Amino acid sequence: MTIDRSYQASFNENNQEFVISGKLRPRSEDEIKPLHDALSAALAQVRGTFYLNVKRLARLNNVAFRVIAGLVSQVSGKRTDLRIEVITSSVMGWSTRKFLPLARRLPNVTVNEYDKDFYPGQSFLEDGGFIPILRNQTRLTWRHERKLLARHGLAPGMSMADICCGIGDFAVLVQKEFKPANILALDHSRTSLDYARKVAADFAIADIEYVYGDASEMVIEDNQFDFVTCRHSLQIFDRPELILKELFRICKPGGRVYITNEKNSHCLGEPRGESIQWTYTEVAKLFADFRMDVELGPKSRRYLADAGFEDIRVDSFMVTNLDGDPQDFADMIQAWENVYAGEMARDRGDTPEFIERFRRGFQDHIYAALHPKGYAGWPIWAASARKPA
Amino acid sequence: MSGSHPLVEISMGIEAFASEWLHCDRISSYLARMVSHNRTDSLLYANLLSSALNELLETAFAHHGPQGDFSCRISRAGEADVIELDLPCDEGAMAFYSEASRRLKRPDVADLYQSALFAPGGVDPHLGLLEVAVDYRARISIVTEGGNRLKLAAEIALEGAAA
Repeated sequence: MTIDRSYQASFNENNQEFVISGKLRPRSEDEIKPLHDALSAALAQVRGTFYLNVKRLARLNNVAFRVIAGLVSQVSGKRTDLRIEVITSSVMGWSTRKFLPLARRLPNVTVNEYDKDFYPGQSFLEDGGFIPILRNQTRLTWRHERKLLARHGLAPGMSMADICCGIGDFAVLVQKEFKPANILALDHSRTSLDYARKVAADFAIADIEYVYGDASEMVIEDNQFDFVTCRHSLQIFDRPELILKELFRICKPGGRVYITNEKNSHCLGEPRGESIQWTYTEVAKLFADFRMDVELGPKSRRYLADAGFEDIRVDSFMVTNLDGDPQDFADMIQAWENVYAGEMARDRGDTPEFIERFRRGFQDHIYAALHPKGYAGWPIWAASARKPA
Repeated sequence: MSGSHPLVEISMGIEAFASEWLHCDRISSYLARMVSHNRTDSLLYANLLSSALNELLETAFAHHGPQGDFSCRISRAGEADVIELDLPCDEGAMAFYSEASRRLKRPDVADLYQSALFAPGGVDPHLGLLEVAVDYRARISIVTEGGNRLKLAAEIALEGAAA
């Protein structure tokens, strides 16, 4: 008989959190005795609130559930002062409803469906109002990226994943232009995925699977894809190294991971360059306050190297008002102003005076973009690297 | 089940299936992934379907006849998928599934599931079937064939739950 040890369990004393991840489908309780003992020991030493984190537990059978539930019930009955919070995830589908009966039986046990904590400020981006920004941005960056993607390793017939796919328009463009065998497009925004699926249905697009998931810990097997993209997304996570670890994991040995990121403070324009520069420097600070690093672009090489990749290639390009219709560029800046000044700065508690000056820089950027002799730019860093074979 | 079309089937001797516990996990994970690719959210759907299918396979692993063919087939019927397990049964297994069938038809099946889930002692052998019926709202049918074989079918509509 083979015993499957595909679960991990750890206890963090500092935050009184016991984390179980992976897969728990034992044949007998004895098979998971180490887990039983570790959980039992952890429960014995905590006070106040104990967190049982199963948000990355992909599989659980009834044998294992009863071991966990039995321990929780036992301790809950003896120690009414102890609060036990079970943290589940919507990504797994089954875990919340599996653990809810436990909370219904035991007054000091609660079940909370995690998903927001890892995405600081993500609510701004998950709002449906952000869709026009994303759509316009992809249109503008695609002119450049379509010329770069082959150099970074994308070729017809490949198996590709687009992680943090947003509204899925990049995946559609790639499918048309590069003809990969299939694309799995994953995002954590149901609003964006609904939009992507509607577009796919309206235009009879096949071979793109749009799936809901958490980029920091995906329910995808190892070594699945020849080419993995993650665009404009590492910069909006406070722990980009976790995402990169996952991109590395799902990429086939010898395959490549492709990322794009910005350095917002380097957005530029003339005339009115000074005002524009001030505002975008403040944009970087604003995002930093929401634990997002929109200055990440030039750090891509370091991040890829630290994640274990090799053969790192880095390009940068400037999306400008001269790329096509200057109004497209202006519309993008207007959308940025609406979210950054209209929502994020307001939510941070900025003064009306600050917000007025903040808005002025965006308007000056639009002025530069639409000026007959003006120039306005938005710099992007595109980097890729190979997973060692 | 009428109106459904087959998607995938795996078959082997029951002895081979029951020789390794990990077969339940491997088969449920693989088949669920195979049939979920064109569902609205393939990963989420596969995760849910794998959970339900694994419970059915674990039940079959524990309760079957000693010899004969074993097969697991998944068919599609619109929004629902139909899992069919075809297995040999001896007297003991027949008695088990007969009791299961009786419990599944009871109006208080949800209470039975809750009781079994938290019952002290060993795991209630009917717990997996009760869970699939209650938690996954599956329509389960158990039909004997010729006195020594049995077909266990579960029709599950997960599309809404997984979207």
